[in-house]
Amino acid sequence: MSEIKQHKKDATAQAHNMQIVVFKLGQEEYGLHIDQIKEVVITPTITRMPQTPAFVKGVANIRGNVIAILDLEEKFGLVRNHEASSNGNHFTLVIESEDYKMGILVREVPNTLSISSANVEDSVFTGDSQSEQSYITGIVKLEKRLIIMIDIFKVINEKEAQQLFKKQEVQDSVA
Amino acid sequence: MSNEKDNEYREIFLAEALENYTEMNRLLTVLEKNVNDSKAVQALFRITHTLKGNATGMGFDKIAEMAHVLEDFFGEVREGRLELGSEIFTSVFKAADVLGELIEAIKTPKDVKYRGIKTKLEVFIRNAKQAPAAGQATQQPTAQEAGIQTGTSNSAAVELPEEEDHDESEVETTNVSFSDLVQVPVKKLDNLLNLVGELIIERDRIIANGASTHSSNEYSRLNRISSDLQYSVMDVRLVQVGFLFNKFHRIVRDASSKEGKKVSLKLEGTETEIDRNILQVISDSLIHLIRNSVGHGIEKPEVRKQKGKVEEGTVTLSASSESDTVIIKIKDDGAGINPERIKQKAIEKGLITAQDASQMSDRDLTMLIFEPGFSTMDSVTAISGRGVGMDVVKKALDSIGGTVQVDTMLGEGSIFTLSLPSSMAVKSTLLFDLDNQTYAIPLSYTESVISIYKSEIHKAANGLIAVHLGNTIHIVFLSDLFAQSIGKSKDKYASFDQLHPEQKLEIVVVSFNGKRIGFIVDKLLQQKEIVEKPLRKPFDSISYLSGVTILGNGNVCLALSIPGILNALVGNQVSRTINA
Repeated sequence: MSEIKQHKKDATAQAHNMQIVVFKLGQEEYGLHIDQIKEVVITPTITRMPQTPAFVKGVANIRGNVIAILDLEEKFGLVRNHEASSNGNHFTLVIESEDYKMGILVREVPNTLSISSANVEDSVFTGDSQSEQSYITGIVKLEKRLIIMIDIFKVINEKEAQQLFKKQEVQDSVA
Repeated sequence: MSNEKDNEYREIFLAEALENYTEMNRLLTVLEKNVNDSKAVQALFRITHTLKGNATGMGFDKIAEMAHVLEDFFGEVREGRLELGSEIFTSVFKAADVLGELIEAIKTPKDVKYRGIKTKLEVFIRNAKQAPAAGQATQQPTAQEAGIQTGTSNSAAVELPEEEDHDESEVETTNVSFSDLVQVPVKKLDNLLNLVGELIIERDRIIANGASTHSSNEYSRLNRISSDLQYSVMDVRLVQVGFLFNKFHRIVRDASSKEGKKVSLKLEGTETEIDRNILQVISDSLIHLIRNSVGHGIEKPEVRKQKGKVEEGTVTLSASSESDTVIIKIKDDGAGINPERIKQKAIEKGLITAQDASQMSDRDLTMLIFEPGFSTMDSVTAISGRGVGMDVVKKALDSIGGTVQVDTMLGEGSIFTLSLPSSMAVKSTLLFDLDNQTYAIPLSYTESVISIYKSEIHKAANGLIAVHLGNTIHIVFLSDLFAQSIGKSKDKYASFDQLHPEQKLEIVVVSFNGKRIGFIVDKLLQQKEIVEKPLRKPFDSISYLSGVTILGNGNVCLALSIPGILNALVGNQVSRTINA
């Protein structure tokens, strides 16, 4: 906690430093602002849910809270090696906002990184016309590394949520 | 027990009465500053009216009498027949004080003299009533004075001295009184209940974890205390259905006068207790059902006479509790529901085909009134017959896990029976395993659990059916249903065909609104009371589930929403699965 405070003080002093949490999805490195992350836990048993899109792995009990568990590799369409199936996702990044509580599956323990905002390129054109772009908030370039900064709440924004979680009609399932 | 209840009601009455009294005093001071404040007069009239009603109900006749006089008094003021002068105000304030003392006297019994001031007010009222005959409001003061001296002299004269000695006792008793009740916003109670729910889940988890290392006695105290806590919190949330039922007198009156019918409302079992939130959810439905009984059920007086019934129809609203459900019945002695007319209407509206209709029982036909867009009334009336409503009733009930049933006898009347959970917190469920996951299915929808061989299940036109004890049951592989819902579509009969012919299958038969379906599950586990947590974002639109809970082993268990699943399965084809 004091660390974060420290960081905030630094940020106001220089207005250019921030701390991010970096995790790997596929072969890429993704980053989240540290404020969005509550904790990292070992992935608990996941209960699959009906009527959800494929990247929603289900729900899990994390400290008494029932939390949605998402697989962003699947969401972003990042090709995954066959040997690393779901049992390779040992850790869950727990993310919390007022509206949502959710967990993101990651394979390795995420690192924290202090970066200067000078290294962040704000506007990114990914080639995807609309929605995909909106949750990418910037690209961090560090020597050979390239970290994609995302706004996790925009990944599951209202539009997405409405579209994806819309009740899927059962086609002839009785039949 | 009844004594305890009486005490509880007395306390509630006291709290409300004191509140009324305080509000009355406040309004009177407002009114004194501005005698033309019609809002204040209106509010005073309402308050005294409420107080009168409550006191009558509780059998506090003195308070009722006093409140009645005050109500009449403010009624006259409201009509503009009584002008408020300073002299009158003195009396009214005194009357309010006496009322306060009478209320206080419930707690600490003592003799309060109230007749004097009551008579004085009555004199004002009588004069005011006589005044309009003379015509003008401006003439009232003189009329009043005259009245005191002449028309009502005997009663006033007798009682006035008594009022005098009351004057002295009044001075010593104007102290502040506190109510023994605390008002709490429902939101706080909801929060408390959620916390208790989590505590129970946590307790179960700890007990399950510790079962291997400690003896079960270790946790018996924890068990007991947390259970007591849970039931106490649930108990706090219970209210009497009478609170809601009593409001229906007015609704019945209004509805019947609009329709030109004579209807009386009878209430039974008003002391039955139910969770406040459930009462809130169903209140609109009850209003609708009652209006419906008046609008569709009860016939016009002349028709009733022809049929040899008493002119005045009766709608009976009764409540009773059975273990953890509350049964509310709305009964009318009207015309009853004609299944033939429903059949015609449903075919007309395209809800069912003529062919389907011929196979449906009368009871199934009757249930059609709960389908969206159904209305049998040929003409639209002011209070019913708009074709909306009955389906809303059903939806409201679905949302809380309640059911509705209709019994009707042509010419004799109809009974709508609502079964409601008495509390939203705890659900009795049956746990089962499916694909290595545990699910909970509410017992309220579970009809039976059967075990049959694959060979007894047959592929029928569009699905699977089985016959058990003479009933034809639609069979659904729950795992297929779930697989389809996440986009993994399987061949229709894949799961079925894979099975070994000798395989014995466990089937949970559920029913909802007359639709009966058997779900094939992997393994049945035990019955369990679960504390259900609602689905939060982003899962709040999943219709197959009503909530989740955490099991003793720490895993999340999904609670199925039978109405949600059955509605999705049946879709708009009402008839297909009814009694399939």
